[in-house]
Amino acid sequence: MAGSMDERNNAPEAVEERVDSTRDERMDEDALAAIAEAENQAPDRSDFGLKVDVPLGDVAIRAENLGIRYNLNFTKRTKLRTTFANILDPRRRNAGHFWALRGVDFTVRRGEAVGIVGANGSGKSTMLLALAGILKPSEGVVETSGHISTLLSLNAGFDNELTGRENIALAGALMGIDEHVMAEITPGVIRFANIGAFIDAPMKTYSSGMKARVGFAIATSVDPDILLLDEVLQTGDNTFKEKSRRRIAQVLQTAKAVVMVTHDMSWITAFCNRAVLLEKGKIVADGDPDEIADMHEQDAAKRAKQKRKAKQLMLHGVASQDEIKQARKEGTLDDMIQGKTGEVEEAKAEKRRQIQEKRARRKARRAAAARAEAPTGNGSAAEPEAEPVAASARSDESDQGAGKQS
Amino acid sequence: MGVVSEAPAAIRSSNDRPGPVALIRNAFTDVVTRRRLILYMVRADVKKRGVNTVLGNVWWVLDPLITMLIYVLVMTVIFQRSTPDFPLFLLSAMVPFKWFTATVGSSTSAVTGKENLIKQILFPKIILPVTLTLSQIVSFLFGMAVLLFVWFFVYHDHVTWQVAWIPLIAVVQYVFVLGWTFILSAVTVFYRDIGIVIGHFMRLLFWISPILWSFMEVAGRGARLQSGLEGIERSFGLPTGILFGIISMNPVSLLLESYRKVVYGRLASVDVTDPETGQVIGEQLVWLEAVPPDFEVLAIIFTIGVVFTIIGVLVFKRLEPAFAKVL
Repeated sequence: MAGSMDERNNAPEAVEERVDSTRDERMDEDALAAIAEAENQAPDRSDFGLKVDVPLGDVAIRAENLGIRYNLNFTKRTKLRTTFANILDPRRRNAGHFWALRGVDFTVRRGEAVGIVGANGSGKSTMLLALAGILKPSEGVVETSGHISTLLSLNAGFDNELTGRENIALAGALMGIDEHVMAEITPGVIRFANIGAFIDAPMKTYSSGMKARVGFAIATSVDPDILLLDEVLQTGDNTFKEKSRRRIAQVLQTAKAVVMVTHDMSWITAFCNRAVLLEKGKIVADGDPDEIADMHEQDAAKRAKQKRKAKQLMLHGVASQDEIKQARKEGTLDDMIQGKTGEVEEAKAEKRRQIQEKRARRKARRAAAARAEAPTGNGSAAEPEAEPVAASARSDESDQGAGKQS
Repeated sequence: MGVVSEAPAAIRSSNDRPGPVALIRNAFTDVVTRRRLILYMVRADVKKRGVNTVLGNVWWVLDPLITMLIYVLVMTVIFQRSTPDFPLFLLSAMVPFKWFTATVGSSTSAVTGKENLIKQILFPKIILPVTLTLSQIVSFLFGMAVLLFVWFFVYHDHVTWQVAWIPLIAVVQYVFVLGWTFILSAVTVFYRDIGIVIGHFMRLLFWISPILWSFMEVAGRGARLQSGLEGIERSFGLPTGILFGIISMNPVSLLLESYRKVVYGRLASVDVTDPETGQVIGEQLVWLEAVPPDFEVLAIIFTIGVVFTIIGVLVFKRLEPAFAKVL
């Protein structure tokens, strides 16, 4: 049902794009020109070719020695009981602290589009929340100058009982945008979201793609000085993806600062003129998006390999799960894997030998059975099959089996 | 740029802890500058509450009426209450009490229910409890309309100008509840258990508050309540009269009795004498005309309310930075 709705709504998209909001028409042309130019300059990136070079302006975001600490004693599942236990037990009192981000120095200038990449749990989303001011730093300072527009999740804080139009008004009020400005912007938002008559239906009837469209349309239409995007660009069909790409290029054109978090490296390489690699809450690399994307992909490959190795350690009983966890926490997992390679190899060889022995014993037993049957003369059909097995068992260095037999 | 006018253009966030005066000033300016957002959210909240039902907002009128009918039925038919004009007696305390429980009861989800919003966009969280209290006023007004309709068209005898004091009592009640709303909405983020505790507390409060009975019925439930409580006090070794004191002197009770005094009037018991012998054979409750509320009591409750509101704002603002982390 939702799928068919989507399709129906997408049909007039090609027409719709041309009649995009008049306010943005000029910018749209600029963006297209920039796209064409970028395509000429960088033929190797012709698949997107949206990388726009904008002169770097003044500082939009500045984070200094930023640290975000989570108190694990107060998570969602905290019960009064556990709190009392923590108070009574001095060992547990200060146990639950976790630095999701620490010692981060980060500056974004106007005109920069910075991509944040990193593994799961490296602090990307936390960083975006901190830049948006939603998370207060536990240490350090975050300063932003200019109006911020955030699109940090798919449902974008929408109220499912309200209609799309009402949600747009509410979002405007939340961002503190003037009523008359909102009235001006709203038609453009609706046109960009392009969800047809659904705009006056309650948001709970929307598909996730439709919600994402409205969210993206609002976040980019309010003419923000700083746009923060978190992993929201993958949704929607290709037409909408293309449209949102162009919109981002527009936002960049007007010298805005964009910070985005995504796992899709093509977005990083196509859009960002800078990228940052996060690892365990720290910035480990900052620079050219292509290099950072490569680095990230190599890291990911390395992590996958490490994971495989660690699994092997466990499988062969060389190290327990707890030991591996401990090593990962201390960052000595690589050394551990390195150091235990010999043991793993030994364990592997041992296992191989055991399997072979077992197989040989089985074969020998079968061969013996075949031999025991052979003198009686019946089962001639089984004979040709049993014969080569017995032969191979004998040739397979199975001295033990043979020894037992005699 | 001029596009955004109500949100600050430059933000500096660090782990500084502003002093209490700054916190209260911040909270005040937040509420004043974001009043349009509050209005939108109240409107959305009010609209939402009637959206999934066939009768929609008609329920706001039917709800107090049906509640009243049920209690009238139970109390007059089963328990044989003889209070004169019992439906009005009941409704005059029930409507404000419902306002109180609805506000305090939903305060526990004022912040926790907006989890998505808090993690999505930066806005002053203090507007959430403010929005809640304002949107509850709307349902209170509907309940009040029902009460005044019944009062005016059914119980002509009770109609006096004393009802003009209702807004004053309501303002005192609002201020008294506001502080609690701030405290409860903030603390529940950390201890969800509070939501459950509050639900049970409200149920207890319903029975120990003068709703189905009144302190003015000296000969009736009031006196019997007092002697019953003394029994409890004796068995637990508490000083005599302390439980009755808590029940009769708590602000909710006093507010409810104030509403009743101005809408319904007073109750008094008179001796019933045998017309032939002139001997006292019993007591009977009679209704007396409405009187103004006790202003001293209202002033004290208002002061308590202001103190609680200040404490509530401080607690809320102090805990606010942690909301996004804990939710």
